[in-house]
Amino acid sequence: MNPILVLGAGPAGLSAAAETAALGAPTILVERESYLGGNPKRWHYSLLAPDLRPSDEVLGPLIAKVEGNPNVTLRRSTTVSRAERLERGYRVTLTTGAAQETQEVSAVVLATGFDHFDSHRKFEYGYGRYPDVLDFKELEGMIHDDKVLRPSDGKPPRRIAWILCVGSRDLQVGNPWCCRMGCAVSIKQAVEIRQKHPEIDAYVYYMDIRTYGLWEDLYWKSMQEYGVKFIRGRIGQVTLAEGGSRLLATGEDTILRRPTEVPFDMIVLASGMEPGTGTKEAAALFGVPVGPEGFLTPTLSDLNPVDSGLPGVFLAGAATGPKAIPDSVTEGMGAALRAYQYARR
Amino acid sequence: MPIVEKSLVTVDRTEHLEIEGIDVSGDWNSFLRSRVQVDLDVRVLDWVRSQPQGDTISRCWQCGTCTAGCCLHTDYGLTDFNPRYFIYLAQVGYEEELRKYSSTIWRCVSCNKCVERCPKGVKVEEVVHTIGSYLEATGGAPESPADRFDRAYTENLLRRGILDEADLFRTYERGEGRTMPAREMLRMGLTLLRSGRLRTGPLAHRTRGWRRFGAVLRAKLEEDERRRRESAGAVARAGGGPR
Ligand SMILES: Cc1cc2nc3c(=O)[nH]c(=O)nc-3n(C[C@H](O)[C@H](O)[C@H](O)COP(=O)(O)OP(=O)(O)OC[C@H]3O[C@@H](n4cnc5c(N)ncnc54)[C@H](O)[C@@H]3O)c2cc1C
Ligand code: SF4
Ligand code: SF4
Ligand code: SF4
Repeated sequence: MNPILVLGAGPAGLSAAAETAALGAPTILVERESYLGGNPKRWHYSLLAPDLRPSDEVLGPLIAKVEGNPNVTLRRSTTVSRAERLERGYRVTLTTGAAQETQEVSAVVLATGFDHFDSHRKFEYGYGRYPDVLDFKELEGMIHDDKVLRPSDGKPPRRIAWILCVGSRDLQVGNPWCCRMGCAVSIKQAVEIRQKHPEIDAYVYYMDIRTYGLWEDLYWKSMQEYGVKFIRGRIGQVTLAEGGSRLLATGEDTILRRPTEVPFDMIVLASGMEPGTGTKEAAALFGVPVGPEGFLTPTLSDLNPVDSGLPGVFLAGAATGPKAIPDSVTEGMGAALRAYQYARR
Repeated sequence: MPIVEKSLVTVDRTEHLEIEGIDVSGDWNSFLRSRVQVDLDVRVLDWVRSQPQGDTISRCWQCGTCTAGCCLHTDYGLTDFNPRYFIYLAQVGYEEELRKYSSTIWRCVSCNKCVERCPKGVKVEEVVHTIGSYLEATGGAPESPADRFDRAYTENLLRRGILDEADLFRTYERGEGRTMPAREMLRMGLTLLRSGRLRTGPLAHRTRGWRRFGAVLRAKLEEDERRRRESAGAVARAGGGPR
């Protein structure tokens, strides 16, 4: 049997490769970066929602399953630059730097993931202009290293605000979908900070809190046990306050029904998820249909959530839409099974 | 404890009442008006949605971004002017509450900052005006001095196609039952007249070709007004309303 190709080594791809290998199929895991673990690794996520386990504890075992696995050929810093459909499977060209290699594969799993929304595009929030306006992926790293300090002067903040839905549910930037993670991750960050530094006040500006399903527990705990505060309203703009030493968040508190202009020491933007550049490339390469949002679309999101509709091409993880790690891992398993069935036929 | 919010108190006042020789005049039956919302009226939303300028109202998710940037609300401290809240009242159908803002709602200066920022693509400025139109067309709104000024202004403008400020001032103030001390008026008027900044009465500015253009404009305004009243009237008659 020709090997099964898994493209992307984030949670979904790692899970898919681990499963095809466990089924005994030779597997090539191709990752364009030099490291494994996808976005959580890239941005050094701290604790992971919903169980608040360190991300290394979650990703470590996944990575260990593929590294050194005799059935898995790992190709880091590599991409697929050409794909040609054969009677059965595909002939792909793997490119590593200047080196190219052609390989026949029996089935393909696309687990190419997402990119963060570029917060510069919400210019009214001053990201990139004011150093203390952070994207929440950057705060993940700070929390991970326990260095939650204002980039402007290196001082610890007294009061932090989170702005949810940045680049999500927003027609001004053309992204009407919900990112699914922003609420939970912001709340989790506020909890982590309050756990270690109860002297820092945490406020979340929200329109809806979407800690769906069992994740709601995190939201409740954040209020009850950690005193995180929630203000219903969307911040309209961020400017400088107090001679430029703090940030001013201007918005309407829709429950108070009055304008609010409150100074903060740091403002954190919960930037959404967009289809990754790698996902767009892969879609073009294999001819996988994409939806209006630019994510890969399975043939039926309820019954065939991992089938692309193209023979031998399967989908997993955030490449098909905003998704959490548990769902990405599950889909990786599903796609592995479908790819294996196809390859064996 | 005294009740500060006087508008919530209803009182039956009896000025002169004597029963069997005993004077019992005074306040009877002082009740607190109920603040419980007891109905939902779908007419406002139906009508606003049926208007070409109003159909984006249903997209609103009440985030408050429009209000946060609205110059009337923030810069001019007119916190009663809250586009997000107007939309909410219209969406849900709190018509009685909405009517309290029948005159405030017209203060929008059409800067369109709200439209620029709304994440859901609500044409806030147009929607707010449409809600205002509904309130106006379905009546019952007490006319405010601002409404009367608007009318005097439009009438004045339509006459010659250019404003005759002195006349506007005279007509409006008289309509409000106010007069300015003659001496004060003379002093100010003369200064302005001498400087050539004010031309009024027979000396007033004119607009060339205004007779025909003005007639067309007037006809158009009347036509718009008639249409608006008709369709609002139709909604009001078509039942709907509180269910
Ligand atoms: C700030 C933030 C915090 C989060 N925290 C949590 C959390 O606490 N709990 C939780 O469950 N989820 C969390 N998530 C969600 C989590 O990041 C995603 O569910 C997960 O990363 C999706 O995994 P994936 O493998 O589908 O995609 P990715 O993680 O995006 O991985 C895709 C991989 O594919 C590679 N790739 C892409 N294109 C190509 C190509 N053409 N060729 C080769 N390689 C390619 C990429 O380099 C990347 O390594 C968070 C998300 C955000 C935004
Ligand atoms: S998950 Fe929360 S932050 Fe993200 S788009 Fe949905 S509501 Fe907004
Ligand atoms: S257009 Fe009207 S409602 Fe919108 S921001 Fe300007 S004044 Fe406010
Ligand atoms: S900005 Fe748009 S969505 Fe938000 S409250 Fe105003 S009209 Fe509604």
